[in-house]
Amino acid sequence: MNASWIQWVRGIVTIRVRGEGMEKLVNRALGAGIQLWSIRHTSGGELLCEVSVGDFFRLRPILKETGCRLHVNGREGLPFWLVKVQKRLFFAGGLALFFIGMYLLSSLVWTIEVKGNELLSEEQILQAAKQEGLYPLQWSFRLEGSEVLSKKLAQKLPGAAWIGVEKRGTKITIQVVESKNAKPKPLLNPRHLVASADAVITHILAESGRPVVKRNMKVRKGDVLISGIYGDEAHTKSVVAKGTVRGLVWHEYNIVSPLQRQLKVYTGDTETRWYAVVGGRALKVSGFGSPKFAAYETVRHMEKVTWRTNELPFGRIKETLLEVRMDNQPVSVEEARATGLLQARADLLAKAGALAEVRSENILHEKTDNGKVYMKVLFEVEQSIVAERPLVYMQGE
Amino acid sequence: MSRINRKLRKMAADLLDLPQDVVFDLPRLTMIGDRQLYIENHRGVLHFSSDKLRLALSKGELEITGQELVIRTIWTEEVFVEGHIRHIEVRDMK
Repeated sequence: MNASWIQWVRGIVTIRVRGEGMEKLVNRALGAGIQLWSIRHTSGGELLCEVSVGDFFRLRPILKETGCRLHVNGREGLPFWLVKVQKRLFFAGGLALFFIGMYLLSSLVWTIEVKGNELLSEEQILQAAKQEGLYPLQWSFRLEGSEVLSKKLAQKLPGAAWIGVEKRGTKITIQVVESKNAKPKPLLNPRHLVASADAVITHILAESGRPVVKRNMKVRKGDVLISGIYGDEAHTKSVVAKGTVRGLVWHEYNIVSPLQRQLKVYTGDTETRWYAVVGGRALKVSGFGSPKFAAYETVRHMEKVTWRTNELPFGRIKETLLEVRMDNQPVSVEEARATGLLQARADLLAKAGALAEVRSENILHEKTDNGKVYMKVLFEVEQSIVAERPLVYMQGE
Repeated sequence: MSRINRKLRKMAADLLDLPQDVVFDLPRLTMIGDRQLYIENHRGVLHFSSDKLRLALSKGELEITGQELVIRTIWTEEVFVEGHIRHIEVRDMK
């Protein structure tokens, strides 16, 4: 059996025994209840053994009786260590302070992380946590169990479906799962749906409210299409009129389309300039002087030095100047007319909404003058003609 | 121990199938290979050197020879010896 930690606490003395009757000494020691261990012979005919400090002093009388002589070879254990500590009081104090400080600092809550919140603000959650005694620089032994904490936090934050508090070392993670609610519907006032333009009704569908018009009826701008008032004159109820109403609407367009088209053409003449790049700055290396072209475009192409996949802050820029020339191309009357109509149609659809359809178009008047085609066109468009009008209660009626 | 007493004890031991060391106060040796030896029921050390250990028994003595013998631990009735054990001899002294 090697010296156990209990013996280490008591203090271990390694002694060397010389003289006759060493066996006798061992027997007597055993008889007196003194424990010896690791008894071995040295080459010099001496006995080497270990004994605890308390037993060492009880060994003295037996030594005298057996006529042996004793020499202390080594001391080990807590008592001897304490004697050393007494000599270096400040060192020992520092050592103790270090461990105490380490323990205290590691039992503080240093950071609180909030995860998974979208609608609830982090401040709101931290505020609730603070009320439960969970905040940075709080002693972690003063915290309640994480299950209790998460339950209490969930009660405090009604917007959260579940809250988990996890403590890992000095860091606390609050995991929030928010409850998902359906988006509240926008509140609407009672209203009529009225015509946004003069039109002929092609389609009417009322989701709520009372339809007033029918298909193929002609309506003027501002006429009620779907009424928001139910009932007769004596008993009325106002609702939010909802539905879709489509109708044919006429749009008159004055179109002007030129008989010439300007084109940008590259002449094929180029000029190259080089720049050296260091960091975020470029230095012109070649191609000094103003460009010889009257009109030009520049194309820049940057190359950076890379090593494996890392970009280094060096490189070069190749700047190419391309000469351009503006050409005028004559356009035929048909082509100019088609272009004008196309533009007008696109403009119309943009105004009338995506679901609008052009039913027919009619060129009322056309003339070619000053190198341009002038046209007056009537479009018949099927589109939504719904506009809202709130119901206003007349007081004292 | 008188002769009758001893006979009685032997009979009891045979009948009840008891271990002999319990009944007759004999040493019990537990040996692990040639390196560890655990002796119970000894009566003290008679001689100890690095190649020989003689122990007194209730009757007779036990001699252990080997090399680099070390008494790891010793109690009043038990010894735990380590080293290269070569030879164990029991001498009965009547």
